[in-house]
Formats: sequence, C-alpha cells, structure tokens
Amino acid sequence: MEFGLSEEQEQIRDEVRRFAENEIVPNAEKYDTEEKFPHEIVDKAAEMGLVGSSIPIEYGGAGYSTLESAIIAEELFSHDPGIALSIMACSFGTEAIREFGTEDQKERFLEPVATGEKISGAAISEPDTGSDVSSVSTRAEKDGDEWVINGNKMWITNGTVGDFFVVFCKTDPDADGRYDGFSQIIVESDRDGVSSDKITGKLGIRASDTAELIFDNVRVPEENLVGDRDAAFLQQMHFFDATRTGVAAQGLGIAKGALEAALDYAEDREQFGQSISEFQAIQHKLSEMATETEAARNLTYKAAWNVDQGNDITKLASMAKEYASRVAVEVSNEAVQIHGGAGYVNDFPVERFYRDSKITQIYEGTTEIQKNVIARELLDD
Amino acid sequence: MKILVTVKEVATVEDEFEIEGTEIAEQYLGADLNEWDDYAIEEAVQLQEDGIADEVVTVTIGPEDCEQTVRQALAKGADRAVRVWDDALEDVDLLDVNAKTEILSAVVEAEDPDLVLSGVQAGDDSFGATGVSVAENLGFQWGAVVNHLEHDFEDGLASVRRELEGGVEELTDIELPAVLTIQTGINEPRYASLRGIRQAQQKPLDVQTLADIGVDESDIETELELTDMYEPESESDATFWEGSPDETASELGDLLRDKGVAQ
Ligand SMILES: Cc1cc2nc3c(=O)[nH]c(=O)nc-3n(C[C@H](O)[C@H](O)[C@H](O)COP(=O)(O)OP(=O)(O)OC[C@H]3O[C@@H](n4cnc5c(N)ncnc54)[C@H](O)[C@@H]3O)c2cc1C
Repeated sequence: MEFGLSEEQEQIRDEVRRFAENEIVPNAEKYDTEEKFPHEIVDKAAEMGLVGSSIPIEYGGAGYSTLESAIIAEELFSHDPGIALSIMACSFGTEAIREFGTEDQKERFLEPVATGEKISGAAISEPDTGSDVSSVSTRAEKDGDEWVINGNKMWITNGTVGDFFVVFCKTDPDADGRYDGFSQIIVESDRDGVSSDKITGKLGIRASDTAELIFDNVRVPEENLVGDRDAAFLQQMHFFDATRTGVAAQGLGIAKGALEAALDYAEDREQFGQSISEFQAIQHKLSEMATETEAARNLTYKAAWNVDQGNDITKLASMAKEYASRVAVEVSNEAVQIHGGAGYVNDFPVERFYRDSKITQIYEGTTEIQKNVIARELLDD
Repeated sequence: MKILVTVKEVATVEDEFEIEGTEIAEQYLGADLNEWDDYAIEEAVQLQEDGIADEVVTVTIGPEDCEQTVRQALAKGADRAVRVWDDALEDVDLLDVNAKTEILSAVVEAEDPDLVLSGVQAGDDSFGATGVSVAENLGFQWGAVVNHLEHDFEDGLASVRRELEGGVEELTDIELPAVLTIQTGINEPRYASLRGIRQAQQKPLDVQTLADIGVDESDIETELELTDMYEPESESDATFWEGSPDETASELGDLLRDKGVAQ
C-alpha cells in the first residue's frame, strides 16, 4: 500500500499553488463581487496547461489522469473556488469527445480547448430536468445530413462564454427504456438559433459563468454526433466515477482552504488577552476540521486512484463526492465561526468559501442522489 | 550556442522564526528554487525559443532532496541537468564561494558552454559572488547584475545592460564565452506547464561526485567560519493600518496626536 504522492505529483501541486497564489488570490474578491468570468486568469492558466490537463498529449494537453486532476482541483479550489471552476470547467464535456469522438472531432474540438483558444461546456440539465436526467426533452431530429435541435438547457456552466457544448438530446422519443433514445451532439455557440441568458445572483462560485441555453431550430452537421446515436446515457455513465471524484476534489480543496484560513486567523486574533487558538473550544473546532478534511482527502484520492486503475467504483465515487462536499460545507461554516464578525464580510476568504462550498452538494448529482446510489449499491450486493 | 545555467535550491524562512546557534531552526525552513536563478532559466529558455541556444543545461550542487527543485528548471524548458554531490560535501557546514567556484568551474570545463548564466545572488546565503568568481577562475569574461540581454550575439558578443547604483544603467558588450549574473526583473519567468512537468520526468539528470568531475576534497575546504546569527534589534516600530483611506487617515491622526507630533 502506498499513500504518498510521486515527485511529479508534488511538483504539479507546488506549481499550481504558485500560480494560484500569484494570479488567483489577489483577484478573487473582484471577480466574485462583479460576477465576471475571469478571462485574463483563464488565459494565463491555459498557457500553463491547466485548462486541458486531462486532454491527451497528442491533442495538446498534458494527458493527466484522474488523480492528478484531483490534485490540481484540490489546490485551485483551496485558493478560490469561483476562479478555480472557471479554469477547470473550460474543458467540460470534452471527456465524451476524448473517449467516443472521431479523429476529426478530437482535432477540431480537443486541441483548441487544450491550448485555451476555445471553451467548452456540457449541457444536460433543463428547466424541468435536474436529478432525473431521463426526462431530458431537448429534441434533436435528423433532417438529411443535419441534426435540428430544439429545447432549453438550464444552469449551464460556461453558457455565455463557451464556444461549443456537448448537448444531451432526445433523439428517439419512441425508445422503450427510460435511458434509451438519447444522444450527445456538439453544438457550436455561433450556430444560428443558439442564444444564451446569463444567470446572475448566484450564492457562490460567482466568477464562474452560468447560463440558460436556448436552441431554436439549430442545425448542425451529422458529424457533430459524439459516439453512437441513442447511446448517450451509457456513454455519459462511463464518466460518472471520474466526474464525481472531480467534485469530491473540489470539496476537499474548499475544506483545505477554509481550514488554512481559520488556522491563520485563530493564531492571529487575540481576545481576553490571549490568542483565540488558546481556547479549547477553538482548538477542538480546528482538530475536527483538520480530521474531516484529511478523511475527505483519503476518500477522494482512493476514488481517483481506483478510476485510474480502471476499476468500477460507483459506490466509492458517490461516497467521496457526498462526503467531501459535506465536509466543504461544514469546515467552511466553522471557519466563518472562528473568524467571528470578520468572517461575515469579504475581507477574509472564508466568507467566499462558505458561500462557494454549497454548490458541491448540488451539481454533478445532489447529495440525496449520491446517497441513493450508495444505498442501491449496498443493498444490491 | 550552448548555455549552462547554475541553479540552487535555497532555504526559505517563515515570517516568524527562531534561531538555534548559528542556524535558523529547521521547523521554520522551507526550500525553493533561488529566485534569481528562475530569471536565469527563463532567459536561457527564451534564447532557446528564439533559436539562438541549441542546448540549455542546468548545474546544481546539492543532495538528492533538491532534485524536485532542479526538475522545475527542466519543466520550464531546460534540456538536461547535472547535479554534483558527494559524501565529502555532506559533512561541510559552509560551502563557501571558493568551493562552489572549484566545483562549478569543473562542470563548465566539462560542458564547454558558450554562455553561463547564474543568479546575481542566492536568496539564502547571499554571497553574491559565485558567478563572477567562476568566470575569473576560468578566464571567461563576465557581466554582473544584468537586467537586459540582446538576443542577437553579433560577432560573438553579448550586449548587456547592467544595473548600477543610484538608478544608473550601463550598456556593455562582452566577449563570449562569458558568465552573466542575472538580475530579477530581466524577464517574466513562466510557470512550468503541466506538459513541461510531465516531460521533465524523462529528461536526463546526471549525478556526479567530486571525483567524477575531478575536484579534490582538499579544494573545498573552507577558511570561513560562521560565528553568529541574530536578528538585529529594531530601534523603532512601524505601525501599519489596513482599511480605506478614510479610516486609516483618522487612525494616523490619532497616533500623531498621541506622540505629540500634532496638536
Ligand atoms: C452553478 C451551477 C452550475 C451548473 N452547471 C451545470 C452544467 O454545466 N451542466 C448541466 O447540465 N447542469 C449544470 N448544473 C445543474 C445541476 O447539475 C443540477 O442543478 C442538479 O443536478 C440538481 O438538479 P435540479 O437543480 O433540477 O434539482 P432537482 O432535481 O429538482 O432536486 C431538488 C431537490 O430534490 C432532491 N431530489 C430529487 N430527486 C430525488 C430523489 N430521487 N431522491 C431524493 N431526493 C431527490 C434533490 O436532491 C434536491 O434536494 C449546474 C447547477 C448550478 C447551480
């Protein structure tokens, strides 16, 4: 059994930390307050290869695995989740192209994402479709050698800044099974009939762009179909273990960042003539926060390692996602508490961590859905 | 053109620390690539990207622990690395400029570069002499505190701009082979790219002993002795306020009144 990181992984973490400290931290408050997508920082991140870290080397990426991606996510999210997501989500949706796309699609869509020329997105959720993906109603119909797409997608990360989206569409409304008859189709944002509406007023990750996408008789060539027709569910399920582990790493990073901020503050702040870190009540908070963060790390890394071994880990990935996101919320909550009034305003990063943490319990399958999955796996065994 | 860049892993110190004897206590120390060397590496890599350098080699004196730091330079684009270490060096308390000069000169002779780039100084022991001393020892030309380097090298000359005291700068043409000590700010060092980090793991990192490079143990003995280390007493305190100009101005007013400076 081997619990350590390799030298290469340590180097990745160190360099990502350097980047985050210099480029992200000084700008975090601004982008959060303005709810603005951090193009300038994303461009620098792209130069460093952070946006396409998991895209294969031959398409301009670094070809890093789930564990390395988790390390990168942990480090970025521990500095600022909103900007971190803006960077890491630049390649959302490309996993399907990587795994099931044609050579031509890989060249057209993976390379420009790896180099930062283009931003992608994954469009699954709809106004009436969230946890129950099988109720997707966005329709793609074949007309000659084109797909004609109609429908609305909701909560789409990168919705107003993305250059293309991998859109989850219903292609066979008469399919028998609940999970049959869906396809993944690439839609470029400059196609006629595509419009987007930015969603503002988010609780957290406000630097990250979220929007509603509207497809009104959008025509794309048939070669924009990713993988097999009517097989979207099977294709997408293929990535659940990796994507859930990815969000676990986000939660872990938020917990780590909040813990570090709380430690610093506790040592600095004095009341009753002593550092508040001398009070046992504060010490116990810090102990629990650190222990929970470490436990989240172990679950996350274990899940990531297993994904990289090619193991099926439905239950473990859901456990990591559910637990790490809960720890993110709990630890950032306690971090605000340790800051007292100072934690309630944005002079310190914990206020942001607290708001940002909540999303990790919602997207990529809510906490309740993860628990459903875990229970199903437990009881089926 | 072949470029050799000297790099060093330096000790970094936390804001709050304690001194034990003549050393800063271990628990307050970290390690990082020397800041000046980061600029030297960047300059070399840019020369390579401009098609002027065809090989960039780094050399470091240090134990195995510092390989991760050395790989940073490889990740940023250097082609290969040489690391010199020896049991004899393990026991040396203070590796002085003389010893470094002996070791680095031996590597320069073996590698035969056209240009050697070193940092102006190392952030920890700050001798600020190694680069120039190596040049002197080898009979190379040298330029110290270089903050701009022309990338054309016409007639085998390095045209450099050097930073002098009092905001004065001078332009000098230096004949190759030469050693340039690089000042921070000469360029903007890049982050190592993830691809670069990945590729760096496959780049050669040769480890050489003193015997391998033909340096005798007696050549590295030092006549320097570190006798004390302490934090200077501060004679006055600086007060620092954070906040908006409105808030800080009134706090400053209060302080000046308290001190009897203002009424
Ligand atoms: C900032 C942000 C970014 C997002 N980015 C994207 C994106 O890029 N692409 C994309 O496709 N989507 C994205 N989403 C959407 C996200 O994946 C959904 O919000 C999420 O899946 C939950 O769906 P919903 O909001 O419709 O909630 P609902 O499914 O309506 O859930 C409401 C509540 O009911 C619970 N619930 C639902 N079903 C069950 C059940 N069977 N058992 C127990 N409880 C249940 C849920 O857990 C939740 O508590 C994003 C959302 C946000 C907020």
